[in-house]
Amino acid sequence: MKVLVAIDESEGGLYALKWALENLFFNHETATPGAEGSPVITVVHVQPHFQPPHTAIPVGPVIFATPAVMDSVKKAQEESASEVVSRATKLCEQHMIKPEMMVIRGNPKEMIVEAVEDMNADILVVGSRGLGQIKRAFLGSVSDYCVHHAKCPVLIVRPPKSSGK
Amino acid sequence: MATKERKILVAVDEGEESAYALSWCLNNVVAEINSKDTLVLLYVIPPHVVYSALDGTGYLFSQDIITSMDKYRKDVAETVIEKTKKLCKHLQDVKVETRVEVGDPRDVICNVAEKTSVDMVVLDSHGYGLIKRAFLGSVSNHCAQNCKCPVLIVKRPKNVAATSTT
Repeated sequence: MKVLVAIDESEGGLYALKWALENLFFNHETATPGAEGSPVITVVHVQPHFQPPHTAIPVGPVIFATPAVMDSVKKAQEESASEVVSRATKLCEQHMIKPEMMVIRGNPKEMIVEAVEDMNADILVVGSRGLGQIKRAFLGSVSDYCVHHAKCPVLIVRPPKSSGK
Repeated sequence: MATKERKILVAVDEGEESAYALSWCLNNVVAEINSKDTLVLLYVIPPHVVYSALDGTGYLFSQDIITSMDKYRKDVAETVIEKTKKLCKHLQDVKVETRVEVGDPRDVICNVAEKTSVDMVVLDSHGYGLIKRAFLGSVSNHCAQNCKCPVLIVKRPKNVAATSTT
């Protein structure tokens, strides 16, 4: 079974990965190693394109992004991506599963759906940031978009509420 | 390592989408052998529609009609439960429980998921477009946002729709 887990820098994404490792693969150990049908997990991290500030607001002081700024932003993004990747890999190793890691740049919603199609995944696991109704309308919800457009079933994992446990 | 005990709630209705969701779940999520899982099949009877949403007319039914409508809905519930139980028959180690509740499916599914503290909820998606969602509301959308546990939404792909499910 091909599992695709989409993560971002937030805790919700890593929690989704942890949940998937614990609950979708429990029979991995009882099955003989290398047996057919043993699950394959791919972890995808999508980095949104950096939006230069001058496209955001047409009125007001315009900030031009100098090449130096672009470079430092790119470097920061690469660092954050590699940190996410290393945390995810460590988590998978704790559960004795070897994941494939992918880092893509682009619009998260579309890239995740495309990755599902390219890989022919059997199930897509996404975290949910728990946005309220209004925020969803304005910010858009990646998990909502994935449910409507992905070709395969989508598992939405919400992080547990920290209070009242 | 011992297999993990999981409780999985599957919401079923009369449509083919939920039968597909259940069979996908059985094929991919629940292990056939050596499994300590519990499968809970939930069918929700929607409440009486008293006011039609579009034109605002109210309906006044006599008691006879209400009782016969209730009996019809109970029969539908039993048929659906029987059909879905048959799909689960080949599972040997998995405990299958069935529940029938009355109410708005969105809230009932979330409440039952909390009360029985399931590990995961499986829903089918009717694939409504934007406009239908605005009028009819989407059960899967609401549950995904409000359930405390992970929600798996299974959409039936269009090319499967043509073939019949065994």
